[in-house]
Amino acid sequence: MDRAFDLNIDESGCARLVFDLPGAKVNKLTMRTLDEIEGIVDSLRGMTAVRALSIFSRKRDVFIAGADIDEIAGITDAQQGAEKAAYGQKIIDGIATLPFPTIAVINGACLGGGLELALACDYRIATDNVKTTIGLPEVTLGIIPGFGGTQRLPRLIGLKRSLPLILTGKPVDGRRALKCGLVDACVPNEFLEEKVADFVQGVLKGNGLHAHQQRQTHGLKNFLLERNAVGRGLFLYLAKKQIAKKVKSDYPAPYTAIDVIRRTYGLPLDKGLAIEAEEFGKLVSGEVSRNLIKLFYTREKMKKDRGVRQDISYPPLNAAGVLGAGVMGGGISWLFTKADIPVRLKDLDWHAIQRGFQTVSGIYAKLKKLRKFDAREINLRMHRLTGGIDYRGFSGLDFVLEAVVEDPAVKASVYSELEGVVSENAIIATNTSTLPISELGESLKHPERFIGMHFFNPANRMPLVEVIPGDRTAPETTAAVVDLAKRLGKTPIVVKSAPGFLVNRLLLPYLNEAFHLLSEDRTAQQIDKAIYEFGMPMGPLRLVDEIGIDVSYKAARILNKAYGSRMDPAPIFADIYETKSLTGKNGGKGIYLYGDGEKNLSPEFIEIYERHTATGERVEMPDSERTIRERLLLTMINEASRCLSEGIIESPDYLDMALIMGTGFPAFRGGLLRYADKIGIDKIIKTLQAFEQKYGMRFQPSEYLMELSRNQSEFYA
Amino acid sequence: MPKRIAIIDGIRTPICRAAGIFENVYADDLGAFAVKELLARASLPAKHIDELIFGNVCQPVSAPNIARIIALKAGLPNSLPAYTVQRNCGSGAESITTAADKILAGKAEVIIAGGTESMSNIPLLFNKRMTKLVSNLATARTSVQKLKVLLSFRPRYLKPVVGLIEGLTDPITGLIMGKTAEILAREFRISRDEQDDFSIASHARAIRAMHAGVFEDEICPLPVPPDYHSVQHSDDGPRENEKLTKLRSLRPYFDRRNGTVTVGNSCSISDGAAAILVMTEEKARELGLKPLGFLVDYAYAGLEPERMGLGPVYATARLLKQTNLNFEHIKLIELNEAFAAQVLANLKAFASDGFAVKYLNLSKKVGDIDPDVMNVNGGAIALGHPVGMTGTRLVLTLLKELQRRQEQFGLATMCIGGGQGGALLLEIA
Repeated sequence: MDRAFDLNIDESGCARLVFDLPGAKVNKLTMRTLDEIEGIVDSLRGMTAVRALSIFSRKRDVFIAGADIDEIAGITDAQQGAEKAAYGQKIIDGIATLPFPTIAVINGACLGGGLELALACDYRIATDNVKTTIGLPEVTLGIIPGFGGTQRLPRLIGLKRSLPLILTGKPVDGRRALKCGLVDACVPNEFLEEKVADFVQGVLKGNGLHAHQQRQTHGLKNFLLERNAVGRGLFLYLAKKQIAKKVKSDYPAPYTAIDVIRRTYGLPLDKGLAIEAEEFGKLVSGEVSRNLIKLFYTREKMKKDRGVRQDISYPPLNAAGVLGAGVMGGGISWLFTKADIPVRLKDLDWHAIQRGFQTVSGIYAKLKKLRKFDAREINLRMHRLTGGIDYRGFSGLDFVLEAVVEDPAVKASVYSELEGVVSENAIIATNTSTLPISELGESLKHPERFIGMHFFNPANRMPLVEVIPGDRTAPETTAAVVDLAKRLGKTPIVVKSAPGFLVNRLLLPYLNEAFHLLSEDRTAQQIDKAIYEFGMPMGPLRLVDEIGIDVSYKAARILNKAYGSRMDPAPIFADIYETKSLTGKNGGKGIYLYGDGEKNLSPEFIEIYERHTATGERVEMPDSERTIRERLLLTMINEASRCLSEGIIESPDYLDMALIMGTGFPAFRGGLLRYADKIGIDKIIKTLQAFEQKYGMRFQPSEYLMELSRNQSEFYA
Repeated sequence: MPKRIAIIDGIRTPICRAAGIFENVYADDLGAFAVKELLARASLPAKHIDELIFGNVCQPVSAPNIARIIALKAGLPNSLPAYTVQRNCGSGAESITTAADKILAGKAEVIIAGGTESMSNIPLLFNKRMTKLVSNLATARTSVQKLKVLLSFRPRYLKPVVGLIEGLTDPITGLIMGKTAEILAREFRISRDEQDDFSIASHARAIRAMHAGVFEDEICPLPVPPDYHSVQHSDDGPRENEKLTKLRSLRPYFDRRNGTVTVGNSCSISDGAAAILVMTEEKARELGLKPLGFLVDYAYAGLEPERMGLGPVYATARLLKQTNLNFEHIKLIELNEAFAAQVLANLKAFASDGFAVKYLNLSKKVGDIDPDVMNVNGGAIALGHPVGMTGTRLVLTLLKELQRRQEQFGLATMCIGGGQGGALLLEIA
């Protein structure tokens, strides 16, 4: 195989090592490349004429993208993991101990192992190229840096500045890297050669010390927090508490990272590295990291997925309209403004338009507080939004999203109006959450341009978009909408048109089951806690409040009609809906109370609850939390298996990703079906059958599950 | 003009009193809003547009060449050139006549013309002394020098220069615009009562037009940035029951002792923007667009700065001479109401043989203006006068009204601070 490195030494003794992994778009650290580095470092060590070494990449916009994920995924046990890490550490340490100054020249992505290699150099130069991103994303894959990242980074820039990089995995650009001392210069990429040459000359003249001093942290606060054991302990304790707010302990990587730093800070480097390697080994062989790495592959697959099999071309969508300025229409409009795509919002009256504008500007106002946008940027993006109560301006649009009430008759009349004003090529998409697309499309003159594009609430934050072609939707339409969803920063997943599509079809039986549980003496808090601790962002009853009781109940009824008795709404669910006074979080009162003060159960709910539990069957459950989880999750798994067999979604990994993106299903568990495989198909069937006997037909295992069991197969076979 | 120029459509924002509803909406944002809505109405893809020309009087320091900023904020492509024109109160009209000239010269086919003004956002400035102090401070090197500069500070250095007042004061004569109206009131012996009566009529006409939905043809409701707590649907200047007694009780503003001009019989200071789409008649046909009307010809004329209010009669005289059109053919007039005294002075000047002979080098009067066809939907005294926008609004209002009345020719004319007048002859298809 070709060599990945090219070494040149000029007459002045300046060595230049260029990384260019053959046959790959990006540079990665593999066992082979590490071996090659070792050989080069060894030979350089013996060359007395070499006065400095700079390391470049020949790849466009990439320095080193990190260690090879395939190799990480191939690690089978903790010991092997630790050994591989130790091996990489040793080679990278070889760079650190070279007897002359070393400089990493970072023009593009410098992530994970790539940064760890750069950290072993004496100096780092970054560019202000927008593609320059520098960071340690390991925790997002459920592991920690294993090539010295937890050791060299805190030693280089201190705890305060290194912890966010290690614990969140979020990279920084060249300018911010310079600010936090991660790099010693941030230069224009057009003048990279000259700047590096100057820098090397400066280092050789002895100016390097200046760079070292700039990295040092100063100040009283720094002294109190970092330069003494008590302050450090406190600082790490606080950092851990911060993590606990965001990440559950089932997801161990950030906790391990803090722990490693706590145990190793101040230790000699070799001892620290040994601890890092050991902990890396434990994590990399663990289930969480395996799950996250598999999801990483799914994500990469999805990025390339164009939504259709054919290789077709379609014009990009550059001017959008949104019908319906409600919360959903407003949130979706915001997405367009953020993507710098002009969007015209239409509703029936100006008051609705005004609220739509407020929704959009309200999202920006929040982001402004987080310093994601400044006033100038917001002003420009708000200018992308226009609105009105008629179809003026619609003739020039090439995409219109309908987000009006979920009533087929209303929608049909909207489409007929719309087809009268938009051009023949304009795509018409519906944001319906439950209605089948093919039926909705029937009334259109041009059903080939009609498609479902289902955003989740809140549209500005939920990453999933279900793209639902109807029977007569043209593949060009699907491809264009998939592409548009990506431009809006979303993850599109193509699903087949059936009531509830994918996510709602799985979610509503799960929510409904929570109501069944309620009428069996479980408290709302107990149910929500069991699910929250499983890793969902919130429990099912809180989620019902969040979605809105009427919206959820109506959706449950639609699914009930479509799928029959297994989705019969629980009587208590119906009663809560019938009160009409309980609306959910938006109305301030649902199952829980909202607004000021404690978030307690609402009195109206308690009354209904007591009525139902008093008359309902009382079943003593000693192992309550487990049963709650089983009943809720197995309901979803059972329905998911039906979706797979009906071809609602292409594959189990897409289904898992859809639930992670659409409902916040905990990623570290790998997804619903991966979780199911872990439980085991036979065990699932047995439990479902037991539930079926106790609670009724709705738990009857699907034919697909039975078949998996007969074939001794699993979802991910 | 060798050829008439088609005006396809136009749109404007509501006009709101300065320091009021549009207080936090800048001139470029108002302009961009009007342009976006114009594009939505005209159903014309941006690729057909060759240039954007906008009039603006008090060009914001933060938005130099405001036209370009408007174009980009409105989402027009980077490749589209844009520039700003300034002819004081004639700036909005100037954007249209410049566009016409450019089109006739063959330099462009389709142009967006418009005018915008945010009089709410005309800044207060540091005076010369304070400016000098700040610049001295910036150049002082040592601490001693810096301290010395700081010690030179006097409280009077903080007296601001009011940008609005400066802008409304003619630097040649040193007269603020209201004073020029006082001069005309004296020259033409126009009483306080006549002025007040005229103002009340202006409000009444504007209110009547508003109730009749006349302005809905030209205004696009504006969701008000930056918080969008409301949507502004209409002009907030016209007052119901503008009572004579209240108007008569106001003190003269510009000449406290002997004056007749009050804030009640002057136009108000306001914010607003308007935009129209102009092109050759052939191009309109080619694009399948039906013009709202045409610009037939135009003229600007100069006169003594202190008599600037008479601009309309000077400019109209010139326009009529150019076009060989009889004044009688003009069935509708928009004559900008800077001051009631100024409008009434014009009526007298238009109708005076003596004036025509003495000042206009004509043998007889320009023509008798029938008050019933002038400013039929009220004028700036009721609606407000966002200086850079008014010229565009006059054209827009006039064309829409010509269409409603199915009359052929109309005149839009205005006085221009500094001693000029502008007159545009418009016609519907």
